[in-house]
Amino acid sequence: MSHAENRSPLFHQLVVYALMLILLMPLLGTLIYSLSTSWSATILPSGLTFKWYLALWSDARFLSAFGRSLLVCFAALALSLVLILPLLFVVSYHFPKLDAVMNVLILLPFAIPPVVSSVGLMQLFAGGPLPILGTPWILIGCYFTIALPFMYRAISNNLQAINLRDLMDAAHLLGASTWRAAFMVVLPNLRKGLMVSVFLSFSFLFGEFVFANLLVGSRYETLQVYLYNMRNDSGHFTSALVISYFMFVLLMTWAANRLNKDKS
Amino acid sequence: MSYLSIQGLHKSYGATSIFSDINCEIAKGEFITLLGPSGCGKSTLLRCIAGLTGVNGGQIRLDGEDLVPVAPQKRGIGMVFQSYALFPNMTVQQNVAFGLRMQKVKGSEAEQRVEEVLELVELNDFANRYPPQLSGGQCQRVALARSLVTRPRLLLLDEPLSALDARIRKHLREQIRNIQQELGLTTIFVTHDQEEALVMSDRIFLMNGGKIVQSGDAETLYTAPADAFAAGFIGNYNLLDADAASRLLLRPINSRVAIRPEAIQIGAQGSIEALVRSHSLLGNVIRYSIEARGVELLVDVLNRSPADLHARGQRINLNIEDNAICEVA
Repeated sequence: MSHAENRSPLFHQLVVYALMLILLMPLLGTLIYSLSTSWSATILPSGLTFKWYLALWSDARFLSAFGRSLLVCFAALALSLVLILPLLFVVSYHFPKLDAVMNVLILLPFAIPPVVSSVGLMQLFAGGPLPILGTPWILIGCYFTIALPFMYRAISNNLQAINLRDLMDAAHLLGASTWRAAFMVVLPNLRKGLMVSVFLSFSFLFGEFVFANLLVGSRYETLQVYLYNMRNDSGHFTSALVISYFMFVLLMTWAANRLNKDKS
Repeated sequence: MSYLSIQGLHKSYGATSIFSDINCEIAKGEFITLLGPSGCGKSTLLRCIAGLTGVNGGQIRLDGEDLVPVAPQKRGIGMVFQSYALFPNMTVQQNVAFGLRMQKVKGSEAEQRVEEVLELVELNDFANRYPPQLSGGQCQRVALARSLVTRPRLLLLDEPLSALDARIRKHLREQIRNIQQELGLTTIFVTHDQEEALVMSDRIFLMNGGKIVQSGDAETLYTAPADAFAAGFIGNYNLLDADAASRLLLRPINSRVAIRPEAIQIGAQGSIEALVRSHSLLGNVIRYSIEARGVELLVDVLNRSPADLHARGQRINLNIEDNAICEVA
């Protein structure tokens, strides 16, 4: 027993480092590949260069794909905030019994595989009264359903933690209308849950490929679809794209963490 | 002329009646306690007075004005909650100033009034802290200050001490009572703790099952319980049915009887022979469980010296004076 305990710290560290190495290996490989002039028959790349990144960031098609991805993600997130916040407020303040129904409802996007639901969405929106297939609008609506569970869970946990009813009662008795109480007392206290859910959904949506490719494809080329269309181009170029994408999401996550820590 | 007058107040959720036909009159500056077990309707009654819960019928008149149609924002009522309900995103100062901000009291006047109430609850040094950085007792004092700063016509306290530990609870209840008397503030306090009720109140309304069972000052409630519930809830009354009481007192009695445990004396001059079953030390009081003529009794004796202690199994004599025997319905 003592033998095992003496060894365990080293053993545990080894396991953690090995796991990190395995996880980082492909990323590291991609990084080096994106920085090398050519790397085929040798163990190490023959030379280092930034030209792939320069080529990527001066490609107008890449920049507009990047912009489209940002636009679609932010639009979907804005839509979910505008809809979910008041909905959650009403559910937890006026109709707490509906919470059970909502919990089932928000799990639906998880229950149906993206390939299945995209086929359904294609049929539904190809014609009929709302022919938005192939436009960014269908992507925004679709991304809204994907973000819904993350947003709803995070905000609803946050709401339960702040004792909404008593806070509202206290604010009412001090003379605040329901609107003012919601904006001055409830909303500021949901900041943390909002931040977490928005950034989580953002990094998730930013990398989404299945819906983007099937519902819109090249008609409104987003970042992931662009990457897919570039698959026959130089591998160094697409590696630079993957690393750029990864760094961007990393930066967003880091910023989100920083913003959250400030208050506590 | 009463300041707050409640007449025929009725509240139900669907078919479940919470309380019906509540009537009471409260004078200006009185400290009233609503005392009762959980689920007796006392908190709902308080919320109805505040306007946080609607009523199904009846009148609540404050200073001559019927409050029932008035929105909670306009009632001029301050309230303190068991959960403190402080706004976590605001400092102590901002929490207290919130009510003034809503009333559009601005600038130096607002600052001065906030400072005054913070002084009243001895929290000046904490003005720039956030609620999560305060202890439970401090939080509740901030909540009290926040409800006082708007100079409410009526102060409602909904079990404000229940979440605090015993020492702080005692200190804070004295502080609340002092502030209430200093400001002459009409106050309604809800609790399930009889000691709090007895110590703090001018009058106590004892509630059970949606009814005010008995109202009166602490002494009346304690020494003259109106019914078996009152006797069972306040103090540690020995409640005996008619049979047991007749057996114990050796005379025919045809109603239930309540006897306070400290009104029974143990001593050689007593006429009732009894046996000590067990005892427990409550600190300044020793509580004996005693069997006399086949009846189980609790007897409290002041813990004067260890030499007086009656051991388990010891035979003793009891004396029960006639005025300690209280017949209850």
